Amino acid sequence: MFGALARRVTAPRQAAKAVPADPDRLNDLLLLVATTADREAFNALFAFFAPRIKGYLMRIGTSADLAEDLAQEALLKVWRKAKLFDPAKASAATWIFTIARNLRIDAARRAAKPVLDAEDPAFTPESEPRADEVMERQSRDEKIRAAFKALPAAQYEVVRLHFIEDAPHSEIAERLNLPLGTVKSRLRLAFEKIRKDLGDSVE
Amino acid sequence: MTVLSDIRHHPKDLTLAAYAAGQLDEARSVVIAAHLRLCAKCRLAVADFEAVGGACLETVEPAAMSDSALDSFWLRAGKQEAAPAPASILAANDFALDAAHPLARYLKEGVDAIAWKNVAPGLAQHVIPADGYRPGVLRLLKISPGVRIPKHTHGDEELTLILRGSYTDEVGEFRHGDLADLDEDVLHAPLATGDQPCICLIATSAPLRFRSIVGRIVQPFIGL
Repeated sequence: MFGALARRVTAPRQAAKAVPADPDRLNDLLLLVATTADREAFNALFAFFAPRIKGYLMRIGTSADLAEDLAQEALLKVWRKAKLFDPAKASAATWIFTIARNLRIDAARRAAKPVLDAEDPAFTPESEPRADEVMERQSRDEKIRAAFKALPAAQYEVVRLHFIEDAPHSEIAERLNLPLGTVKSRLRLAFEKIRKDLGDSVE
Repeated sequence: MTVLSDIRHHPKDLTLAAYAAGQLDEARSVVIAAHLRLCAKCRLAVADFEAVGGACLETVEPAAMSDSALDSFWLRAGKQEAAPAPASILAANDFALDAAHPLARYLKEGVDAIAWKNVAPGLAQHVIPADGYRPGVLRLLKISPGVRIPKHTHGDEELTLILRGSYTDEVGEFRHGDLADLDEDVLHAPLATGDQPCICLIATSAPLRFRSIVGRIVQPFIGL
């Protein structure tokens, strides 16, 4: 299955200054890295994700230098652990998000107090993924991505703040000058809408 | 990984979303992670929320990397990778505390080595500081069979996971794997049922809050 996917992708010839990946090709590129350790595919992923992860990590209040260093560390994990990427569990953007998120939590923890490095759950190898599971997870992630983008502006904003900023509900409320209950209900409505778009029943 | 299909009490959606977003404090993250090991339904929900996170990451305003970033990356990648530390094996018991269990790092001697402190007849506890990222407190509570905890409410941010035994209260019956993510206004008086002690893992978000909770629970016992 990986082979078939890999054949469909043509790697860029030259990547002195790599061109960022097209968001729709992230999965194909990561699978190329996973199966053939393709450096040019990785360079395109690096050019797309490193500046975004750096931007994401700067939200915990670290300096640009430290954020850059941590973004390097995140991409290093992507490169070294690519073989453990399981397309039946997540799409590329989702997997890389969990790596960056865990790194952010660890970095904030280290800043507070040194602790043991727990095994990162983003790298738990399991059985060989089945093609139908891969298809299902990938199309589910794709639907979630589309549903997120289609959220009404007010809901889109709180969801984005919740996932990207280092801000719990109370801080989002403060920042947007909204009552805490409004922030929570907007998040709830947003998640219900995403679930509805997925075709799941809302409980 | 154990899979219990009869889990009936789950975390709220907002709690799972906050976990996926990396916004929960350490104590509550541990409790949620321990529940996830047992609950396929919530694992799927978290995977969905992580997909929302993936979509959000794509929208982050990029912060330009330095010109030499890619070169230094490949330099770093070329260096020898450190060997992974061997996983320690903890005593096998029905907590399933293998090295990968979220609680393992906090209970290095295993569960049976816990030095319980009695706080009231039939009620013992063990407090674990989890004050790294966003301070919180983890607490194990052991309730003897037949003991009922006096009526109390919970703070909005408390999570309780049943690790062993069971209890019943106004909300329902809670067994191994069930998680109570109760609204602040729920008043309940859990009664430990069955013939073995009920052991719960409880996360509270801040030490001050935690003290007041102990006070609320223990007060009727010791007549403070």
